[in-house]
Amino acid sequence: MIEARNITKIYNRGKFNETAAVVDISLKIKDKTIVALTGPSGCGKTTMLSMLSLILTPSSGEILYDGDGVLRASDFWKTVFRRNNFGFVFQHINLLPQYTALENVLLPIYASDEDPAQYKERATMMLDELGIADRAGHLVEQLSGGEQQRVAFVRALIKNPRYIFADEPTVFVDEETSKIIYRTLTRLRDEGRTVVISTHDVELMKLSDDTFRMCKGRRA
Amino acid sequence: MLKKHRNIFSYSFDCLKRYRMRSIAIIVTFLVATTMISAVLFAKDGLEREAEYSVSVAPDLTVQYLKAGRVAQIPVTYADNISRVEGVDRVLLRTWGYVGIGTNTYTVIGLDPSGLNYSGIAASSLESGRFLNADDSGAGNVVVGQLIAGILDVTAGDDMILLSESVDAKRFHIVGVFSDKESIYTADMIVMSLEDANEFFKMDEGMVTDLCVYVNEGLVPQDVAAKMSAMPNVRILDQDLLLRGYKAAYAAKGGIFTTLWTIVLVAVALIAFSQAIVVGHESKFEVGLLKTFGFSTLDVIEVRLIESLTLGFFATSLGMLFGFAYAAIFNAPGLVDILLGWAFLPSEFRLPVVVSFESVFSIYAVTIIPLLITTVVPAWLNAITDPELAMRRAAT
Ligand SMILES: Nc1ncnc2c1ncn2[C@@H]1O[C@H](COP(=O)(O)OP(=O)(O)OP(=O)(O)O)[C@@H](O)[C@H]1O
Ligand SMILES: [Mg+2]
Repeated sequence: MIEARNITKIYNRGKFNETAAVVDISLKIKDKTIVALTGPSGCGKTTMLSMLSLILTPSSGEILYDGDGVLRASDFWKTVFRRNNFGFVFQHINLLPQYTALENVLLPIYASDEDPAQYKERATMMLDELGIADRAGHLVEQLSGGEQQRVAFVRALIKNPRYIFADEPTVFVDEETSKIIYRTLTRLRDEGRTVVISTHDVELMKLSDDTFRMCKGRRA
Repeated sequence: MLKKHRNIFSYSFDCLKRYRMRSIAIIVTFLVATTMISAVLFAKDGLEREAEYSVSVAPDLTVQYLKAGRVAQIPVTYADNISRVEGVDRVLLRTWGYVGIGTNTYTVIGLDPSGLNYSGIAASSLESGRFLNADDSGAGNVVVGQLIAGILDVTAGDDMILLSESVDAKRFHIVGVFSDKESIYTADMIVMSLEDANEFFKMDEGMVTDLCVYVNEGLVPQDVAAKMSAMPNVRILDQDLLLRGYKAAYAAKGGIFTTLWTIVLVAVALIAFSQAIVVGHESKFEVGLLKTFGFSTLDVIEVRLIESLTLGFFATSLGMLFGFAYAAIFNAPGLVDILLGWAFLPSEFRLPVVVSFESVFSIYAVTIIPLLITTVVPAWLNAITDPELAMRRAAT
């Protein structure tokens, strides 16, 4: 279980552009569920997701995994925890443009003690499921937005992580691909993964077990 | 653990290929900078070795005569006085000066042929002809350096005309040509008998330029010099003093060293700067992404270290190789005139080149250390910021 206790994030504290992006949010995310964060643009979804996934340090509050507070742990510990447990889909996709789709998918493996080559087959299979197997060898900068998002999706799942954080995973893809993504997320949950997403997609909210509404940085 | 390092290695090398422009920019700048600086340093080391060589063949002590504080001709009678000083083995008379042929200036050295075996010049090997002997006294015979032979296109058996200061043309017969195998020390030398030199330079009767003093085996020249210093109007030079003089002469022409080091430093600084600004932006995003996926701060630093060391060593080593070739094989066109003051070089001329550990080390240091600092430090700073912020700031 992931638990957030009174999480606040204030950007640029003390400066003229100080922004309270997330204010005093508490929530619990049960294991083996799909949880959606929703709300209008700029309400702090990405900020919240980043803090839950330990790539952004809250200004105050505590985050617990299976009951243990993790914010005071060392940077190294958090990095290893991410390496072993998390998969990410970013709102801005964040692929490395000079690399091929397949190479991007395999990137998380490089941080581990495993041979990236051993994951090639799995990666190709997953790209195929999302209908872009023929794009595997193409440079990412040559792919369309929707294709890139599917690559990012496969990259998040390549190590079969326990937690998947997906920031608006369906914004750029067509209906067909959206359906594949819904099916995949549902299947992941059924296999025991925990999925945290931020989305405006009504269909995604429908299949979520829990939905947290946000507004101007607070729980609505 | 080992597999992870292998992954990091392969990722790093891959980066060098992917970010081709960034790699090429570094390689080209470093290549140009290190080619220039290494050519100069290697040539400078070579010339200093030459200076050491010429000092090593110089007499233990050189005695000059001072008149009103200036160097003047020394009476031959001084040689008798000095040879009576305890510890002095032998004193040779020497008359020398400079002579211009065309735009070049050469050194004329006159020695008593019977005492030649003593002078260091006799240690130089000959390329052709023979050395001077006792019969050559006043005969107008000379032995010339390679450089002169090359420029004038003469060899043993030919004649050459030298113009004295009073513009009297005098004909000399070349009996031998020095080889420049072990040193360029003799390259611009014309060696003749003392008698010929005295006449050529119109020395006063009973006067020579200076005295070459050789001390007894095992004695310290400076100790013997101390005993002579009581003599009036003399200045005594030992080998250390000569060496300092030679090195100062190269250092004076060596404003070029300062200039070149400055160019290299500016080039390196420029690259470093562009690294920090342009590449830093791109690499910040990359570092944020790597950290998100579980590369630790140390892993990120390892990636940048491998990249920078590979690029730096490759470019700098190649630059040194080019610099060596430029100096040793092509005789450093453009550079050699500045260093040696010779406007024209015969094809036979070989610039002395020495690759010293100090030079190689300092060239590596001046290129690789700034590169490391400007790539590793920003990477480290990016790695310790929250990955989300590193990625977000870079994306916008
Ligand atoms: N690095 C930052 N520095 C300053 N302000 C920031 C930063 N990142 C986000 N913000 C601000 O924090 C607020 C929340 O941003 P966030 O990206 O979390 O919103 P969001 O809910 O994901 O929006 P969207 O649906 O448009 O993606 C916004 O007002 C944004 O301008
Ligand atoms: Mg967002």
